[in-house]
Amino acid sequence: MTQSTSSGEAPLCRLAVISHAFGTVQALDHVTLDINAREILAIVGENGAGKSTLMSVLYGLLQPDSGAIEFGGKPMHFRSAADAINHGLGMVHQHFMLYPGLTVLENIVVGAEGRGPFGFIDFAARRQEAQRLVEQFGFSLQLDRPVEDLSVDARQQLEIVKMLYRRADIIILDEPTAVLTPQEIDALFAMLRRLRDEGKSIIMITHKLGEVMDLSDRVVVMRRGKNVAERVTTETDRTELSELMVDGTIEPISKSATIRDETVLSVNSISVSGSHHRTAVDSASLSLQAGEIVGIAGIANNGQTEFVRALVGLSPVSSGSIALRNEDITKTTVKQRRNAGIAYLAEDRMSVGLAVGGTVSENIIAGSENQRKYSNHGFLNFRAIRNHTKELIERFDIRTSGAGQEIGSLSGGNKQKVIVGRELSGDPQLIIAENPCWGVDVGAISFIHQQLLDHAAMGAAILLISSDLDELFALSDRIAVFYDGRISAEFSRDELDIFAVGAAMSGADHDSAAGNAAW
Amino acid sequence: MLFDSALLESIPRFVTPLLLAALAGAICHRASVFNIALEGMMLIGAFCAVAGAYGSGTWLGGLGLAMLFGGLAGLAYSWFSIRRGGDDIVVSIGMNFLAIGATIFMLRLLFGTRGQFDDPGIIAVPKVPLPFLDAVPVLSNLLNDQSLLFWIGLMMTFAISYLLYRHRFGLRLRAAGENPEALQTAGLSPERTRTVAVVISGVLCGLAGAQLSISNVTLFTENMSAGRGWIAVVIVLMCNGRPLWVLPTAVLFGLVEALGFRIQGLGLPQQFTDALPYVLALLVLAIVLGRKKYLA
Amino acid sequence: MVTSNRFRQFWPFLALLALFAVSAVLFPAVRDNAASFLEGAFGGRRNFNFYSTLSRASLIIGMAMSVLVSFRAGLINIGGEGQLVLGGLTAALVGAYLDAPPLVVWPVALFAAMLAGSLWAMLAGWFDRIAGVPLVVGSLLLNYPAVLFASYMVSHPFRDIASGITQSHRIARELRLPRFEATLLDYGIYLIVLVIVLVIFFERRSVFGYRLRMQGFSLPFARSSGFPVGRIYFQTLAISGAIAGVVGFIAVFGINHRYVDGMLVLPLYSWTGVIAVLLAGMVSWLVPLTGLFFAALGTGAVGIERAADIPREAAQIIQALIILFAAGIGHGLISRNTKGDG
Repeated sequence: MTQSTSSGEAPLCRLAVISHAFGTVQALDHVTLDINAREILAIVGENGAGKSTLMSVLYGLLQPDSGAIEFGGKPMHFRSAADAINHGLGMVHQHFMLYPGLTVLENIVVGAEGRGPFGFIDFAARRQEAQRLVEQFGFSLQLDRPVEDLSVDARQQLEIVKMLYRRADIIILDEPTAVLTPQEIDALFAMLRRLRDEGKSIIMITHKLGEVMDLSDRVVVMRRGKNVAERVTTETDRTELSELMVDGTIEPISKSATIRDETVLSVNSISVSGSHHRTAVDSASLSLQAGEIVGIAGIANNGQTEFVRALVGLSPVSSGSIALRNEDITKTTVKQRRNAGIAYLAEDRMSVGLAVGGTVSENIIAGSENQRKYSNHGFLNFRAIRNHTKELIERFDIRTSGAGQEIGSLSGGNKQKVIVGRELSGDPQLIIAENPCWGVDVGAISFIHQQLLDHAAMGAAILLISSDLDELFALSDRIAVFYDGRISAEFSRDELDIFAVGAAMSGADHDSAAGNAAW
Repeated sequence: MLFDSALLESIPRFVTPLLLAALAGAICHRASVFNIALEGMMLIGAFCAVAGAYGSGTWLGGLGLAMLFGGLAGLAYSWFSIRRGGDDIVVSIGMNFLAIGATIFMLRLLFGTRGQFDDPGIIAVPKVPLPFLDAVPVLSNLLNDQSLLFWIGLMMTFAISYLLYRHRFGLRLRAAGENPEALQTAGLSPERTRTVAVVISGVLCGLAGAQLSISNVTLFTENMSAGRGWIAVVIVLMCNGRPLWVLPTAVLFGLVEALGFRIQGLGLPQQFTDALPYVLALLVLAIVLGRKKYLA
Repeated sequence: MVTSNRFRQFWPFLALLALFAVSAVLFPAVRDNAASFLEGAFGGRRNFNFYSTLSRASLIIGMAMSVLVSFRAGLINIGGEGQLVLGGLTAALVGAYLDAPPLVVWPVALFAAMLAGSLWAMLAGWFDRIAGVPLVVGSLLLNYPAVLFASYMVSHPFRDIASGITQSHRIARELRLPRFEATLLDYGIYLIVLVIVLVIFFERRSVFGYRLRMQGFSLPFARSSGFPVGRIYFQTLAISGAIAGVVGFIAVFGINHRYVDGMLVLPLYSWTGVIAVLLAGMVSWLVPLTGLFFAALGTGAVGIERAADIPREAAQIIQALIILFAAGIGHGLISRNTKGDG
């Protein structure tokens, strides 16, 4: 394989005038892109700008409608990921592509088992190779551990080792920092720089401009399927990039002070047990005032999920108490809590938030199906249900062919609007929103944010659990950080600092060894 | 005396079909294919074994036909479930239903009889004599002069374990079971891997069926698998698809069946001894899974 | 990825088309014997065979409704056979030993049969919910002890020894369900019609039916919507088992007039009910049609067997193939819903 030793020579690989459409949506529109060795290339753009589609084409997962991928000037046709892998490409997906029940070593060798007699694997030799890579790059992976026991950053290390093991020259990372703490991100970036210096080509897809400025050598900006600009990182700045990324139509969120001196929710030192009799939540206390938005930050599996489940009534607490407007609700059912005014925007829309297979109105009526308005003596009042559905479709601008449409055929943003409509139309006292903007389009994001702000202004207390620190920083009056089942720190709006939050998320206050020791 | 030599001698006969079918289920389980058509595939194997042994006049013909049609049943299963995207449970119900109907149909068509077919022309799988064990009391009873299929079953246990953990295909099979999407992005085909897994399981079920019909007895009766495929499913669930655990569990259930057979001779109604394996399977499964559930 | 709703309404019919294609190819004899098929299914003197088909259909449809209730709630209860057998056995014993006028015996026997079916279904539910044995496995395994227990009961303690067969004593003549004149069809079909109407009505119109269907689509959704999921779970199984009990009652009081070992198992009523539901794509109003279709297939095959000596199991093979081909058209057992009301 040709390998240029410095940028300026012929590119390692070129994406030449690629177009791809999903139905009527032109996801990629004549995109041309050079990939050089010994370079970190950032591709930035809003959700839906075409970054991921472009990388799927490069990685052989999608076939372009027109255009070609060229290596050393020769066009290639990748029919599957296997072709791409054979040409030295490697991809770390945003959702890790690992096999949880297999060991680290097994994960590394799947698909690249080497040629043993009769297809049997020479595990001793494979182990040696893997161990050498792990040591060479200073990873802290134990090859015989099952992957399900690994922390998130260790999983990402494993993904990178997998690429190196396959001798990938071009490593694509899709939103690699989404699940990491700021400290872990620093460690990851140091790693990536080192790989670049060894001659690898790194492509990072992101929408976080700070990281782009920090890490990349070159930036490509995508918008609506087009490659709209290309800059050498040192010759541009965040302002220019952000102007290039958006059409200038996004209004900044205006958070005004809405907090009133009435306690809506008070959680008094609750503990919740999780799987394997582990204590998932350990004496967590939190209180919310009317009109207040409290953000919950934390790395996955640090107790936030179980905390929310306990508030909603899906899990019992093992100790402590929960009160809503001074009424003790610790022992009440989900139904009773709903009736008392708790609304829940579940993170897992496809199984918790919605009944896929049911219609729009069947989903909208859930939770109030036995209210007087909608049913009588155990039988449903279809006319009232249909009218209510129509009203919500209009009020929340849900794009659907009608109340009887099957919910699964709605777009992601409209699905979320159905949930938002159902949960918020009853003017709840407390709104628990779990990553409400995951996988929805930009327009729906600002709609959902505005809904939350409006309800705060009307006096609802809002608990916002999000893995997107930007979202938390923009909306929250206060941020509580979960670490190891406890609320390890709380920050009011004026003392917010991304590194302080990050430190709390990685438990730096608790463990004297900092979270980045792994790297 | 319950544990006499006759009981010991009968144990492998009961263990073998359960062992082979459970290994078949284990392979599917590890590939995340919920194959509960083991019952039907065994039945097909049992019928084809008789047809093959009778038609060719050799036991090898019986085994060959049983494996061939078992494998074809597996291929059909994978076509309906993996290729066409049918639900595993629905496809399994269909396959089991098909097996009952097709075997009775063919019994009528080929042998012109209903209910049962037995004929001196059906050649049994040979027994393996181990003369050096003659003097060892218990072991001789257990292992001497047992059907070749018993030894095949034992070897398969280790072969499949080795395949799953040491072979490229086994690793990919487990990977397909853990996260098919990841296997796809690694440039491999989870569908192809699963298809091969189901075909192997069909071949093993064919052998399990052959043990029923051309080993200790040489006859075919309608619905002769009689629920053993479901016991095999239970064994798979209890062992979570680990072949080396399947062996002792199959021995346990085989022992229960053998005991039931013995007790029957002592005057207990046949219905009770027949029900014993199913009741036991349910209770043991409840304990094993219940324990897991409450520890989780 | 997902075919449109309107298209999915047609998929049972596509499956039927596939059936005719397959049966024409695989079974030219079926094509050649269409006349004897129709005669067997619908013909006979004064359409005698048609009423026999209806009689068989009523049992299949009854079992299908039982299965439908469970499947709609996402519960893969395939233990209908055990529930049916225990219901039938209970009804037969009440009928043979309760010395009272029909208007007393019928309700008592019916209720007892429903109770027996319910309890057996709920036992499978108990193993699932409390012990973690998947319902599909637990309910299936419970068939064997139920069938064997019934077999024991009519072989030993309650056997009609004089008859020489393993069966219970015949119920008194006045206790038998009346039949339509000059047919083998009994009034039990009215009970089945009632079951069909009630199931469809409650499934679509009631709050309970709504919750049951939503729970079938997604259990976590039902939980977070505040439905009493545990109660719905057991109520659903109880209803399922009770319907199986009703079918057992009809089989005993309307058809066999006693419990004969194997009488409810060998005709595969329960399994045919399962595949009737699957073919209907769980659309409730289609289930009676697919049930009738399978019943006609069965009795028609008997007609062909008489006329052309083709084993009647051809019908079973065709049924299995229909289900296998239809399996790929739907979208998973649980979420294979089409339109609901509202």
